[in-house]
Amino acid sequence: MVGSLLGTLAIGVTACGSDSSSNTTASTPAGTTSTASGSASGTVDVYSSLPLQGASKDQTNAMVDGIKLALKEAGNKAGGVSIKYQSLDDSTAQAGNWDEQQVGANARKVAQDKKSVALIGEFNSGATKVSLPILNEVGIAQISPANTYVGLTTSEPGSEKGEPAIYYPSQKRTYARIVPRDTVQGGALVTQMKTDGCKAVAMANDKDTYGAGLTRVIGIKAKEQGLNIIGDTGIQPDAANFRGFASKLKGQKADCFFFGGVTANGAIQLYKDVNDALPNAKLYGGDGVCESGFTNPKKDGIPAKVGKLFKCTVATLDLASYPGGKAFIDAFNKEYNDPKPDPYAIYGYEAMKLVIDTIKGAGPDGTSREGFLKALFATKDRDSVLGKYSIDKNGDTTLTDYGLYDVGPDGNPTYASTIKAAG
Amino acid sequence: MGIPAPRPDLATTEAPTTPAAARPKRTNDAIRELLSKWGLLIGLAALPVYFGIHDLTGSQGDLSRLGENMVRGLSNGSIWALIAIGYTLVYGIIELINFAHGDVFMIGAFTAFSFTGTIGLTLVTGPLGLVFGLFLTLIITMMVTGSLNVMIERVAYRPLRGAPKLAPLITAVGFSFILQNVGLLWRGGSQKSVPDLIKHNDEVVNLLGVPINNGDVLAIGVTIPLVIVLTAFITRSKVGKAMRATAQDPDAARLQGINVDTTISLTFLIGGMMAGAAGLIYALYQTSVSFNMGFQAGLIAFTAAVMGGIGNLKGAVLGGLVIGVIQELADNRIGGQWVSAVVFGYLIMIMIFRPQGLIGEQTREAG
Repeated sequence: MVGSLLGTLAIGVTACGSDSSSNTTASTPAGTTSTASGSASGTVDVYSSLPLQGASKDQTNAMVDGIKLALKEAGNKAGGVSIKYQSLDDSTAQAGNWDEQQVGANARKVAQDKKSVALIGEFNSGATKVSLPILNEVGIAQISPANTYVGLTTSEPGSEKGEPAIYYPSQKRTYARIVPRDTVQGGALVTQMKTDGCKAVAMANDKDTYGAGLTRVIGIKAKEQGLNIIGDTGIQPDAANFRGFASKLKGQKADCFFFGGVTANGAIQLYKDVNDALPNAKLYGGDGVCESGFTNPKKDGIPAKVGKLFKCTVATLDLASYPGGKAFIDAFNKEYNDPKPDPYAIYGYEAMKLVIDTIKGAGPDGTSREGFLKALFATKDRDSVLGKYSIDKNGDTTLTDYGLYDVGPDGNPTYASTIKAAG
Repeated sequence: MGIPAPRPDLATTEAPTTPAAARPKRTNDAIRELLSKWGLLIGLAALPVYFGIHDLTGSQGDLSRLGENMVRGLSNGSIWALIAIGYTLVYGIIELINFAHGDVFMIGAFTAFSFTGTIGLTLVTGPLGLVFGLFLTLIITMMVTGSLNVMIERVAYRPLRGAPKLAPLITAVGFSFILQNVGLLWRGGSQKSVPDLIKHNDEVVNLLGVPINNGDVLAIGVTIPLVIVLTAFITRSKVGKAMRATAQDPDAARLQGINVDTTISLTFLIGGMMAGAAGLIYALYQTSVSFNMGFQAGLIAFTAAVMGGIGNLKGAVLGGLVIGVIQELADNRIGGQWVSAVVFGYLIMIMIFRPQGLIGEQTREAG
């Protein structure tokens, strides 16, 4: 209700603040105009909200670098519209992870900014559950470069009751993502575990939206593909160890183990304990643990002997394999002196490119929130650095490829192959 | 509005006791007496006995799994016991729940983790070098955490000695956050893997199908001597007697010529040193540390101190061991998500049957 009032107020103020000399449209953000030639001009604000502290900071800082690179290449402009970008941190040092209050504060800040049209974020699906309803009420587009939880966009198996409608109080879709949802990731993981000869897969999850959602999807996909799952246990992330649980898996003769969760939620201790109890078991993880802070012993991640048995999936593939991947790596290296950017950098880059092209593509309405949303959901067969994709009516990308990573000699996740879900 | 008629149930309760009504009351009393005498023991033994019977009659066929649960539980519990000693000593002497104590333990674990790296202990270090290196690490860690605890007492608690009890309590919470942030700045926000220097999972001996590993030997082998030395120190030494006297009545102790401030500082020193030892054992035994581990560990250790009887040294050790075993049984047999519920369920049961804790509290009020 308050959000609706704010939104209405923002729209009202916007109309008043517009340049009277041009053909303005109603609900154009303050400070923006549209010219008679059909393209918008003025200034819009675009934000990102990502956990810049804690275990995911390597990925999220790379994303911010990617966002800035895309913006710099465009000269901070989308056609005649100037873009003012601001990076927000949705984590706190205390939590070492995303923080519900911080996510809410960021979303409210964006919602109250009359010039804002889009937020790039969140990194964690649980965080999006908090920010999405706030931004949805005022009609601000949210583009996630990393969320995979099914229930944010669909009511497919793996989602919870009432999802996704509960995140859209305005009853209009305002959220899009450029990574495939967990229905795809879960299917890909099951396919890989079957290929690797897993006979009895034990699972654990961190009881968070993303982790519990992913193991739920894997359970469903495993049934479809005939893979034996012997259990899915919600762990207490701050437990001193998980040896009792690991010893139970030994008794159940598990030969493969999967954890749905993020590094910050006890992942290092859990994988070590499972490896101690089941030294030959193959270990798998989703994108929540597919990062150097987890895999690299030099960064106090899992030891090399555990890393040898570990594989994980991320929506990113080998950067060089993307249509514009090599050019992106060169540009990134030139800008940041980093020839091997984190794979997530390209998702930050593409998210900002999508924002820029959406503003341009929407013509005179590109600077209004409604115009931006309309153009975003009209994205069809877009040629991007990630390949050709569309945004469907739910806000999901049509991309389906998942990258399989193992732990390379340098201890970092190293691209191994592309996997597609069977069935 | 007339006078309300008495409720039939209350009326029954308040009716004069007749011989017929007295009979069930006597039975209730007998049951209550029986429960208060044996209920706690029955409750404590319920889980191990149930799982023992389950193992013997099921596919397991022996008690090796239960034995393994007990050993792992005692090892974990001995770490909680060392932390709980700090809580119980401080509470016993100044009746303060030192919320910062769990974070002193965390700083101990970080010190041990960093120091082993500084002196070059690695997975390939020989046994002699390892024993010497770890002993040196233990001494250094205990000195660091002992000094830190004394500093906290001097800066944050002593100036509030005469203040209302809530003042030092809030200061303790404040210091807890400060130490957490020190840990955060020191080693970052995510969990850190500690090299498995002692090869904690390697078997030392197998007793009737129950493997005793390096980690168990370290945890129990360091805790038992430390507790024995500490108990002897407090019960037999002059300083220990001064500590007990101060705990019972600080004013009377002062009249007897005891320097109360020094005695309290010494108590914090000992508590901090025990937390440091626990930090080293934790880092080597669990093989991972994180800046926020002190909160959970502190909560468990404080629960152990209450469970055993706050202010009571032996009670803190017993409480720690009991919680360790309950945690292990719950984790291995029931499910990781139920561990906290089972532990605190046990705490409630113990408080109902024995509000003074398993061994009995030793505070000024309790005598």
